Amino acid sequence: MISDLLSMTVLVGILTSGIRLATPYLYAAIGETFGQRSGILNLGVDGQMLLGAFAAFYVAITTGNLWLGVLSAMIVGGLMGLAMAFVTVNLHAEQGISGIGFYLFGLGLSDLLFQKLLGTVETVKGFPKVHIPVLSDLPVMGEIFFRQNVLVYIAFALVPIAWFVLNKTTLGLKIRAVGENPEAADSLGVSVARIRYFTIILGGTLSGVAGASLSIALLNVFQQNMTSGLGFIAVALVYFGAWRPWGVLGGALLFSLVNSLQLWIQVLGIPIPSDIAVMMPYILTILVLVATVSRVRAPSALTKSFERGD
Amino acid sequence: MKKFRLLVTGLLLFAVLLGACQSQPAAPSVDEAAPEPAMEEKTGPFRVAVVMPSAINDLAFSQSMYDALLTIQDEMGGEEAMEIVYSDGMFVVDDAAAAIRDYAAEGFNLVIAHGSQYGSSLQEIAPDFPETSFAWGTTVDTFGIDNIFAYEAASDQGGYVNGVLAASLSKTGVLGVVGPIETGDAKLYVDGFVAGAKATDPTIQVNVNYIGSFSDVALAAEAANTHIAAGADVLTGTAQMVVGAIGVAEESGALWFGTQSSQTELAPDIVVANQIYRWDVVLNEVIDLIGAGTMGGTSFMIDLANGGEVLEFNPDFDIPADVAALAEATIAEISGGAVAIGAPEFEDVFKVAVVMPSAINDLAFSQSMYDALVVIQDWMGGEGAMEFVYSDGMFVVDDAAAAIRDYAAEGYDLVIAHGSQYGSSLQEIAPDFPTTSFAWGTTVDTFGIGNIFAYEAASQEGGYVNGVIAASLSESGVLGVVGPIETGDAKLYVDGFVAGAKATVPDIQVNVNYIGSFSDVALASEAANTHVAAGADGLTGTAQMVVGAIGVAEESGSMWFGTQASQTGLAPANVVANQVYHWDVVLKDVVQMIADGTYGGTSFVIDLANGGEVMDYNSDFDLPADVMSLAEATEQGIIDGSITIEFGE
Amino acid sequence: MSNMSQEKWFSKFIDASLPILATLAALLVGAVMLLLLKVNPIEAYKAMWEGAFGSQNAIAETLVKATPLLLVGLGICISFRGGVINIGGEGQMIVGAILGTLVGITLVDWSGWIVIPVALLVGFAGGAIWGGIPGVLKAYFNVNEILSTVMMNAIAVQLMNFLLRGPMIDPAQAALASKIPQTARLIDAFRLPRWVPTRLHLGALIAVVLAVLVYILLWRTSWGYRIRAVGQNPDASKYAGIKVKNYVVLALVLSGAFAGLAGAMQVYGVNFRMITDGSASGFTGGAGFNGIVAALFGQLHPIGTIPASILFGALLVGANKMQRVVQVPSALITALNGLVVVFVVSSEIWRRRRQRRRLAAAVLEGEGLLPDENDITEEPGNKEVGS
Repeated sequence: MISDLLSMTVLVGILTSGIRLATPYLYAAIGETFGQRSGILNLGVDGQMLLGAFAAFYVAITTGNLWLGVLSAMIVGGLMGLAMAFVTVNLHAEQGISGIGFYLFGLGLSDLLFQKLLGTVETVKGFPKVHIPVLSDLPVMGEIFFRQNVLVYIAFALVPIAWFVLNKTTLGLKIRAVGENPEAADSLGVSVARIRYFTIILGGTLSGVAGASLSIALLNVFQQNMTSGLGFIAVALVYFGAWRPWGVLGGALLFSLVNSLQLWIQVLGIPIPSDIAVMMPYILTILVLVATVSRVRAPSALTKSFERGD
Repeated sequence: MKKFRLLVTGLLLFAVLLGACQSQPAAPSVDEAAPEPAMEEKTGPFRVAVVMPSAINDLAFSQSMYDALLTIQDEMGGEEAMEIVYSDGMFVVDDAAAAIRDYAAEGFNLVIAHGSQYGSSLQEIAPDFPETSFAWGTTVDTFGIDNIFAYEAASDQGGYVNGVLAASLSKTGVLGVVGPIETGDAKLYVDGFVAGAKATDPTIQVNVNYIGSFSDVALAAEAANTHIAAGADVLTGTAQMVVGAIGVAEESGALWFGTQSSQTELAPDIVVANQIYRWDVVLNEVIDLIGAGTMGGTSFMIDLANGGEVLEFNPDFDIPADVAALAEATIAEISGGAVAIGAPEFEDVFKVAVVMPSAINDLAFSQSMYDALVVIQDWMGGEGAMEFVYSDGMFVVDDAAAAIRDYAAEGYDLVIAHGSQYGSSLQEIAPDFPTTSFAWGTTVDTFGIGNIFAYEAASQEGGYVNGVIAASLSESGVLGVVGPIETGDAKLYVDGFVAGAKATVPDIQVNVNYIGSFSDVALASEAANTHVAAGADGLTGTAQMVVGAIGVAEESGSMWFGTQASQTGLAPANVVANQVYHWDVVLKDVVQMIADGTYGGTSFVIDLANGGEVMDYNSDFDLPADVMSLAEATEQGIIDGSITIEFGE
Repeated sequence: MSNMSQEKWFSKFIDASLPILATLAALLVGAVMLLLLKVNPIEAYKAMWEGAFGSQNAIAETLVKATPLLLVGLGICISFRGGVINIGGEGQMIVGAILGTLVGITLVDWSGWIVIPVALLVGFAGGAIWGGIPGVLKAYFNVNEILSTVMMNAIAVQLMNFLLRGPMIDPAQAALASKIPQTARLIDAFRLPRWVPTRLHLGALIAVVLAVLVYILLWRTSWGYRIRAVGQNPDASKYAGIKVKNYVVLALVLSGAFAGLAGAMQVYGVNFRMITDGSASGFTGGAGFNGIVAALFGQLHPIGTIPASILFGALLVGANKMQRVVQVPSALITALNGLVVVFVVSSEIWRRRRQRRRLAAAVLEGEGLLPDENDITEEPGNKEVGS
């Protein structure tokens, strides 16, 4: 049975599943990367995702317009980010705890709105799969990479964009400067507050899209607590990726591929207790990090608030 | 300043997010008083007067009394022995009161006020005429006045039998009911009818229409038309205005079930059976008592057992032998007291509290209980008779324990701990509240504590049926299952599904995936994708996170088999069948036992046989006839025990 | 001098009442939500108050809820002071509870006087192991503790599910179709004494005693000094000859241990068995996370964490009562808790400002008054340990 794992069907299956599973992680973790690079740890990602998922679903089902749904998710996520920014930047609140607060708030409010506005579980016609001409006909590769829905493509496209913005633009430089040495950045005329507002709101916006990618592209349904802690994994993947978009991509893919691998292990009837199989992605993520022993240092000002003139 | 900014930001956020939020108060209807008709006749020495609200030939309530009096007169020896006078059409209560007083003053031996609206008049008049006997109905209340008799009909009994017949004969699975006002005798009959129909075919749809009038024949006809348009092929109705409805039934070829009087002659081709009131059973006793010098103080009930209610089958209508036998058996059971139809009555409002792990709209476990409580509330007579409160999202065991204790302390009659994780809390709490009933599931373990009920679902049964259908329909020979954790109700269902599939197609491959979570919708979805990639063309799953997997079934064009609640609405083209839990079956028994003074100690199982589990086939899914009959045969086999579900371990 | 200390006490009183004022502000926002749900907020909050403090039983329930928050919070005080962010409390509670339960369901013939302390110690050790793993990973493999503790939480949940439906399942349930994933029930002799008729158990008292011990550990021992030094400034500590890595591990070990103890105590004091609903919080009640909140409300001071845990416990217990009385979906309660957390953590700014002003005033008066040792003047912990 183990040998079944090497069959083409299974490999293709693992890869296509992995790419789908990685999509919400990518949005959320790329967003979080910007935040952490500027010195902000946001643990409220899961709550932002849930509100984004609900907003997208609700707007899509009432208007029939999926892009309007994505836009609403971005707005709602962005508003959550705005609130988080106000609390952490202006009020200098402890970041981790504010994040937990925002998580609980998003978890509760999305469920409440779901119960009051929709009442029952419904489905929506989500983003269809887009077959990219020519490429989608490639054997194997076509099925894995080029027959996904549009939000999946955008998620992967975000990685090089994020890399470019962070490393090749003035904005990216400012973000990194604010995260490494806010005092110095401030003395050079960079507004620490403005940069952090920008990254946190961006993070919220992307978390909102992460939610939308679940509710109107991949699953096309809303259910209470549907992210089930996915946002916390996304935060963890930022550390895995050592605050670099490509690293985040690697982490998201690793985690997701192992997760789809464990699904296949159960499907193929390989005799491992289901619970133990479910543990695999978590264990392997840690083990890979242990094996590679990264020397990368976190942004120096991460979790530290900044007050001018102190 | 900053404090203000914080507040303003917070408030704005709320306003935006909560702006559209609205509450949804539950407001069941409140019953109102309603009138009923009457009838009469005359004789020599024994003089009877009757006051009734409608005409003596209304083929309904008034006529039932008129016919009874004629029978008595005949038995007593004709007009010589008994004189009957009547005032019909006395729908104005004041006029009726005047008539009653007048008859009493004229020295009639017995004055019958045939209509529940006449009670308060009688209460005034009777004490003034101690030599006269009064009788009124339908009620059990004699006001403690010793020259008043009271009588009523257990109309739910005949209603139940009619319901059994109707459900057995319906081809469309839709029944229609036309009633006057939702109260009294009419409501009793209708509720009995619905109960009988549901007991026979739990999936049957019974549409009930109360038109708000005892006289509006045109509206009754229109109500019947509406039922026909909604697909009903069997109708019934109660009170005098239903004659309009019978015409509609005849025109459209729908079957009709009558009550109160025989309505066969109105439409000899389509009337199947009538519940006939034989008030003479009561009147005989009344007259005997009067003869023995007792002027009142007793209340009577006509029912199937004492012959006061008779099921009259239309000899011109050809009832299949098995259906007739079923009807006879039902009558025998009701007469023998084996079938309890109506909800028990409690002195105060019956208060139920339920604690459950997820939201009431999870389309799975918690929702199945919430929906059942709504049914029970309706069954017991609405908010005035039963009220319930809930604590949802109680996945934290010790929070749930606090909630359970609190509800018990607040004097709830029944506290339901709807989650197997709550058991040990209950074990602690229940002994402290010996007069509170507790119920929990899913398990069979009452811990031997006298005030704990236990309930569980034989979820393997519906799982098995689903498995049989899935295996029959699968072209690829591969099925996929998505479960939460490999234990409890979920495991039972999954094992049943696997067993059913393997029993049907021995070499079928059933891949099972437990994702280790009740909430991870994304992983459930991906598990389903994995199954599809592995060749599965039929999927199933259990617990609330499977909503993600249903989407995959839809997208990949695979079949989906649901459990716990109906999931058809999520993928109308792909859902083949659902096993639906009807906890109300258990709850009815629980309520009945509490009414009888038993607080617990019993465990219940819902299964296909007792209607607590129902196979809900999606009518939009084109199930081949042979598979459908296989599925039904499987259900039948499980019910009669000829199929036993073996789990391969 | 006495004048000084009076002022100081007044200041401290203001500081201490800040979280309460912030909570009230959050509840005010909650009132808007309640109004939108067509619920009378006064009735709702009255129920909340009664649920938390309205009767002997209510107070007991609040303290029962506060106990694991305090224990986890004590661990958080240690780890955050040591500069590591332990968000693995959920997993550590679970592992502590599993091992602790194992003692009680194996040594059934032993005396309760032995089994209870042993079980609690084993739970303590279990949490220490589950916290120690991320500690070692951080110190020696540069694996960030946020990542590893999040992952370890998920692993612990699956481990619990596996054990409770398999090897450790209640033999009574194993024989039934329902197969509820739970362990056997502890015998009466193995239960922590209770203040009958409430659920308040001895664990609450133990937790308070431990709070004092943690205070002594952190501020009166060299271990504690070094943990805090590493948290304040790892580089300087290194130059001062402190083995930074060891103290990183120690901080996480101790932090996990207290969470593990909280888990075992939930079994021996409240539930008398382990049950899983498939999620972590089904067993922990979310105390692994909420304990962090409690510790921060208590300004990462073990003694301050005591009232903070009670406040947060009262909020959780009262909100549940409110749900029952006014019949709102529990989702509202979750959202409300989130608001309280955000508001309270935001209110910290005023405390810090006042503190700074006091300090400045003191310096201006030329007294050169230094903040006393257990006053938190520096931003606590939270610095990356660049090992």
